[in-house]
Amino acid sequence: MRRKLLALAIGAVFFVPLYMTLVNVFKRGDRIAPEPASLPIPPTLANLDAVLSRTDNLFWVSLTNSIMVTSLSIIVLTVLSAMLGHYLARTPGLWSKALTLLLLSGLMIPPQVILKPVVDVLRFLQLMETPQTRLVGLVLFNVGYYVPFGVFVFAGFVRSIPIELEESAALDGAGRMQVFWRIVFPLLRPATASVLIFLGVWIWNDFLNPLIILGPGTGTTITTGIYRSIGQYQQDFGSLFAFMFLATLPVLLFFLLLQKQFVKGLTGGATKG
Amino acid sequence: MKTRLFTAALALVLLSATGLAACTTTEPDSSSGTKEITFLVFETPNLTPAYWDAAIKRVTDKHPGIKVNKVVSPDQDRTKYAKQLLSTSQFPDVMIAVSPVGFAEAGELYAWTPEELKDFEFPSNGAVKGRVYQLPANTQTIPIVYYNKKLFADAGITSEPKTYADLLTAAEKLKAKGIQPFVTGGVHDNLGVFFAGIAGTDVYSANPKWIADRRAGKVKFCDAPFKKAAGKLADLATKGYVNKADVSRDYAATQQAFLDGKGAIYPMGNWFAGELDSKKPAFEVGQFNWPSDDGKMVVPAFTGGGLLVSAKAKNLEAARTFALAFQLDKTNMDNASKADGLFIAVKGYTPPSDVGAHYKAGYDLYAKGVAAKAIVASMGFEAGDDGMLAGVGAKLDSSLVDLVSGQKNPDQVCSFLDSEWQKAAG
Amino acid sequence: MRRRFTHFLSFGGPGVAIYSALVLLPIIVSFGYSLTNYNPFNPPTKFVGLRNYSLLFSDEEFLTSLRVTTILTVIVVIVPNALGLAIAVLLDRKGWVYNALRSVFFVPVVLSSVVVSIIWTRLLDSEGLLNQTLRAVGVSDPPGWLSDPDYALYSLGGILSWQMLGFCVVVYLAGLQGVPAELLEAAAIDGAGPFRRFWRVTWPMIAPALTVNTVILLITAFKVFDHVQIITRGGPGTGTTATIAYLVLEEAFVANRPGYASAEAIVMLLIIATASAVALKLLQRREVDL
Repeated sequence: MRRKLLALAIGAVFFVPLYMTLVNVFKRGDRIAPEPASLPIPPTLANLDAVLSRTDNLFWVSLTNSIMVTSLSIIVLTVLSAMLGHYLARTPGLWSKALTLLLLSGLMIPPQVILKPVVDVLRFLQLMETPQTRLVGLVLFNVGYYVPFGVFVFAGFVRSIPIELEESAALDGAGRMQVFWRIVFPLLRPATASVLIFLGVWIWNDFLNPLIILGPGTGTTITTGIYRSIGQYQQDFGSLFAFMFLATLPVLLFFLLLQKQFVKGLTGGATKG
Repeated sequence: MKTRLFTAALALVLLSATGLAACTTTEPDSSSGTKEITFLVFETPNLTPAYWDAAIKRVTDKHPGIKVNKVVSPDQDRTKYAKQLLSTSQFPDVMIAVSPVGFAEAGELYAWTPEELKDFEFPSNGAVKGRVYQLPANTQTIPIVYYNKKLFADAGITSEPKTYADLLTAAEKLKAKGIQPFVTGGVHDNLGVFFAGIAGTDVYSANPKWIADRRAGKVKFCDAPFKKAAGKLADLATKGYVNKADVSRDYAATQQAFLDGKGAIYPMGNWFAGELDSKKPAFEVGQFNWPSDDGKMVVPAFTGGGLLVSAKAKNLEAARTFALAFQLDKTNMDNASKADGLFIAVKGYTPPSDVGAHYKAGYDLYAKGVAAKAIVASMGFEAGDDGMLAGVGAKLDSSLVDLVSGQKNPDQVCSFLDSEWQKAAG
Repeated sequence: MRRRFTHFLSFGGPGVAIYSALVLLPIIVSFGYSLTNYNPFNPPTKFVGLRNYSLLFSDEEFLTSLRVTTILTVIVVIVPNALGLAIAVLLDRKGWVYNALRSVFFVPVVLSSVVVSIIWTRLLDSEGLLNQTLRAVGVSDPPGWLSDPDYALYSLGGILSWQMLGFCVVVYLAGLQGVPAELLEAAAIDGAGPFRRFWRVTWPMIAPALTVNTVILLITAFKVFDHVQIITRGGPGTGTTATIAYLVLEEAFVANRPGYASAEAIVMLLIIATASAVALKLLQRREVDL
């Protein structure tokens, strides 16, 4: 019992910042600064409503962009890195070793180091023109940047699958692609789940790359959208908290729904990355 | 469990598909002949979203062919934001009150023609290598010293400080009564304004060409005048007249602190008059110039502050038209006088008769300064050839915070600034 | 040969192409920039050899950023590791209360650093919840957690520790659950007290978890940018919380000196590459099964 109480007490202290956020989402804006920790009685939906019905649609535009960038990035990443991982795991020789090393070196490059030239490359590819092309540019950069991670998760997993399965399918006359997608890919599910969750959370929460590559105007993701609304809500903390709450809701729901996979994907993914 | 994960993934894909559909419908229609421009503004308690929207609308009503997309700086420092936008290919077409330093040298700004500048009183102000990039729309005195008359009376201060020694005496009296003497904040438009007062009396008054000499390498930050000015600020903090903790405040919070009576003296740009005249604080507010050691009048001021246009704007014609129309619109000028306390520097313009008392008082101080030839530059606010090299202004601002917090002494600050100057010049 | 080439093209081609264009090429370009005085605000651009690199080591800002990053890294490696282990030991029991608490500790891990930064800014602001509470219990002049140069960096370290704590807890819990109950029972029968049991039995078995956490925290702390950008912008004052990642981006995108910024970036890359190489070696030696 003592242990339980101690655990609860520490948990409560740890929870204070989250508690403060939750109560302030439903509290009248003018009460937030003077009494940040008080319960929202009576509760109000005005803050949420203010965010959802902004005239510039900042929330909805940001949400759309975030969903697009995240889902496109992780789908393309899964497909490309599964194939590349399979190729590296199943191709013996110096060439594939060298390629593995080249990809490995990409794992530890912080985005800050290359962001300026990345912007220049995207500009050269004419992807820094309109909000739409910038989204494509961001997805491409996400793909390029996270491909090494995906490759290592998949390559590691492919090695644990007996090659005989593929060989017998190939004997039956199936092409390489067919064998991969019909036989191998379905077996990679745990790896796929890990990659989807890890990169999904990572890209959804990413701040730096969208900040630089997408910029203002209509090109905000959910995180840069929050950042943009700080300046505008100098005193309106209610809307700021409501915006953060809504922006986090999707990830939080996924987390509560798939807790085990999340914990596994995020911690396991990190140790592999 | 596995299937649930895949259902979730599927849901994500479906959502993204609807997102894509939504996206295609919002694609701008470029065929309809309206010219779109982006316009970078910044918000303060006086310059509200509604203020900007109304000012923009007045212009677009007259020029229905122009559509303006407002871009708001995430904080007060719109110049920093503009730089970030530029380096990611998102330089706005039109900007207001952004310092042209650097942008002009890089060829990013449109140089106004003499014809376009004919309506301005000081058409060559803020020139970079002889060409004007920012409309010299208004003059601002940076700073005027605003003070809380009630707190002064409480502390038994009967007359406005005439010399720097008077100012220190007043501060001591306030402090003795438990009143915080100075109110300031940690951003450029607070501490930077504050320091422009000291630099006016201690650097620019003796050598009006100081910045030109610095550019020519004839003077340094570590020469006596600047070091003395930096020492004065550090000293005010050491004595507790300036509260170290104040550096955490942003612009809005600082203004609020003064209006809440949390301190007695508030050196601020004359735009603060706009706030005073519209909000009418509970106490009377007086104004005087930052006092020099010998009591000689010095009025630091800056003329410029207007709109700038990107040289590479897609619709350059529309951007120029908009900028000039925005700047010269009578109602906009009237509102800028009232809300932002600006002294409009446009030929033949007179402020509306219903300007507030604080605006008038500040204007009189400025007019007296002009008559006495006491106008000097406001350090850190100068522009173009008369300004700091690109990037050094920001270093000056952060160094001022260091002086107040005690993190660095004046010697360390001046040598840091000299080396940053070197870096910016290389 | 041809068959092998088409195999590569179809399976590896797109991934390798995008990776090359957006990661490898930029590194080369970045190195190229670092040998010039490239600065759009101050043309023309010239080749300057290694001058930027030699300037770096007398540049006060750069040296400060190294110091700031080191302090932050030390805090972030030690605090969540130590607290994480303690909390994991506490939570290593069955029951819904413990399960729920595990989820609570893990929530910040899935939050965006933007959200974490804003929440903590509200908490630690000079008029924020923490100082309101301190005033209420009689501390008349609580410190400016984010505005006082003596505190800001440590506050930042605390915020990052809060965000990473749950990660460490989960990794340690996985390690603890791998400790066979029989071993602990055997030690108890031999008369070992709880602390002795922990040191002699549990601790050696969760060492891999320690390695994992240390590596992850090291890499996370070294790259910190978001929190600095949102909470302190490198201040208060000059560079008191400006990490190397923050400085690189400021130089590249705000000061607009891509040449100089690239030299800083390359040095940063060399440091992190060395650190990661060492860390990876350690990791490989102690593979942990989660």
